[in-house]
Amino acid sequence: MRLLLRVLAPLLGLLLAVVGLAVVVETVTAWVAPTSSPLVVPWTSWRTTIEGLTWQSGAVRTVAIVVGVVALFVLLLGLTARRHDVFLADPVPEVTVTTSPRSLARAVGHEVRSHDEVVSASVVASAKRVTVKAATLDPAGEVRTAVKDRVEEMLVRLPLARRPRVAVSVTTTKGVK
Amino acid sequence: MSRRSRAAVARSAGGDRTLTTLVGLVLLAGAVLVLLVSYGVFGTYRSQRPLIDPIAVAWVSTHVDLTRWIAIAAGVVLFVLGIWWTVRSLRPEPRPDVSLSELPGERLTVEHSAICDAVRHDAEAIDGVSRARVRLVGSPQRPALRIALTLVEGTDVRDVWADLDGRVLARAREAFSVSALPTAVRLELDATSAPTPARVE
Repeated sequence: MRLLLRVLAPLLGLLLAVVGLAVVVETVTAWVAPTSSPLVVPWTSWRTTIEGLTWQSGAVRTVAIVVGVVALFVLLLGLTARRHDVFLADPVPEVTVTTSPRSLARAVGHEVRSHDEVVSASVVASAKRVTVKAATLDPAGEVRTAVKDRVEEMLVRLPLARRPRVAVSVTTTKGVK
Repeated sequence: MSRRSRAAVARSAGGDRTLTTLVGLVLLAGAVLVLLVSYGVFGTYRSQRPLIDPIAVAWVSTHVDLTRWIAIAAGVVLFVLGIWWTVRSLRPEPRPDVSLSELPGERLTVEHSAICDAVRHDAEAIDGVSRARVRLVGSPQRPALRIALTLVEGTDVRDVWADLDGRVLARAREAFSVSALPTAVRLELDATSAPTPARVE
């Protein structure tokens, strides 16, 4: 979302500037030299097209719906393009330490996989929540507690600013131990 | 965590987000309004009126000059806003040189790259750090450090912090002769299994 915002924000700015410039140019042309009036934007032909329409016309509704959908997308883009940094406790004042959710997930993943009973694991992490899915050949219940303890202990060792909730699910897979 | 070190974490996208949200809101409000009128919420008679309303046309033809000036002003505002926004979001984040002294006759500035290279060297000397990227952000008068550290698998973050504050940042503070230097550190945890060999210069 942030990348899209980086690309779209200057384009939106440029669009605003072009619209503004067109309005000024056409207004001034129509005022100063009415004979050469639609200079760039063919607004007179637009006006003849719209002239017969009422607010109820299908074309008006269609355009409004299309504009509304695009506007909703732009609005959501602006609202959701925030950073997802995971903050660590500050070692000293004036220093802020962060890490990425991906990097936290990688570290938790290493920790989980280093457990002997775990055969495979996948981790999704954010600042609020760490979700671990692991597979084992042993009874799932015991392994789950062990993995959860291990992850909790690791998160304490890592000094995170706020401790994320840890959710562990373990499934038993068939195989030879 | 101070406000300045928090601001140094990453380039702010706040302006872009605010403006994008505003544009979205305005467009959405307009579209919803048109649909409400169209489906007769403001009266069935109103929804049957032509899009180019005779009342509006009459008002415009009695106030021709005023309409022109309003259109020109709106256009100028849109143009200036659009250009300002575009320039603002395309401008690269500045890499300030640091001015240590502004006294006439003994002005002293240190180049951005010199500082960053020095801090990077120090940071890469820490045990468990395989790679460091350093840059300065902010203004020449109020600079802040942004450091990205790639850590070797199994490194204790607390040890890295102690070294970072005790050696690297202490030296930087001493060099700038300031008591506190706002710093944002970004850690890549467990990124490599072994330290990368020393850079060949």
